[in-house]
Amino acid sequence: MILTGKEIAKQVEEGRIIIEPFDASTVTTNSYDIHLSDTVLVYEDEILDPKVKPKTKEIKIPEEGMILNQHDFVLGASQERVGSNFFAPMLHAKSGTARQGLFVHVTSDLVNIGSIGQLTLQLYATLPVKIYPGMRIAQVTFWVPEGEIELYEGKYQNAKGPGFSKNYEEFND
Amino acid sequence: MILTGPKIREEYQKGTITIDPYDPSMINPNSLDYRLGPDLKKFTHHDGNKAHFKDIPFGPEGVVLEPHEMYLGHTLEVIGSKEHAMSLIGRASMGYLGLFLQVSADLGHTTSSHQWTLEIVATKPIRLYPNMKIGQVSFWKNFGELEVTPQTYAKLSGAQESRATD
Repeated sequence: MILTGKEIAKQVEEGRIIIEPFDASTVTTNSYDIHLSDTVLVYEDEILDPKVKPKTKEIKIPEEGMILNQHDFVLGASQERVGSNFFAPMLHAKSGTARQGLFVHVTSDLVNIGSIGQLTLQLYATLPVKIYPGMRIAQVTFWVPEGEIELYEGKYQNAKGPGFSKNYEEFND
Repeated sequence: MILTGPKIREEYQKGTITIDPYDPSMINPNSLDYRLGPDLKKFTHHDGNKAHFKDIPFGPEGVVLEPHEMYLGHTLEVIGSKEHAMSLIGRASMGYLGLFLQVSADLGHTTSSHQWTLEIVATKPIRLYPNMKIGQVSFWKNFGELEVTPQTYAKLSGAQESRATD
């Protein structure tokens, strides 16, 4: 079962869903709209290797916007901290974003129960597209789980800003 | 409703959910990790009727995927459920590296049980290794009477090419 917007707002009020900051005007019928923060990360490695810590560069998105060229892949973040110890969140593009040819995630739309932090956006442009800090870029839905809950304790907990892949940590344990 | 990790474990123990080979550390708060299997294929050309793929040697040193090319891989594990619908995605650690895992077919039908074919497209050059943990399957409770439709790929394992034009 998917939560309605009204239920999302109620669960935020009761502290069972975390959305910070929360703005009641961006609750939609079945989701909550999230905004793009003001920085993106780009990879500088010629070849990405999941066993090696990637080299990244942080770029501030100017107020007047930043063009992503066709086939650019950059990591963005939601302004909001999002998560829940009671529901499974899922990330989706806003239709207005997707119709400009922008993916907000190339895979991995499902968030672990108990994972709370700024959401990393996997921004991939299929067309030239302009992004702005603070734009309503994506939305989050919340799904009712069945079964006993064991909370997330992984490496992306409490994420701040766009997070690069920490896959390499698993190979170096 | 989406099954929690403990519920996935319980259904596995009851035999409703198939995970083979099974490792308890694969269970996440609301999904199951899968690993990348040893068969990998790369798109070569389209002959006007169908796409052709060639096998790529995929040893322990891995393979660098070229961006914007289509590859087919498969899960190392046989994964299925007699009672639940499933959804297969890549894990965050791979999404953050710009790797599409499923270009779009994420839904697994109730009663299918096999190694899942992975639709892989890289947005940047990336090295993949066989047996690496690469994605996750979530399990969803059904609502309504179950009627199983004719199964095209439901029992097929390995990296399966499309049969849409057969």
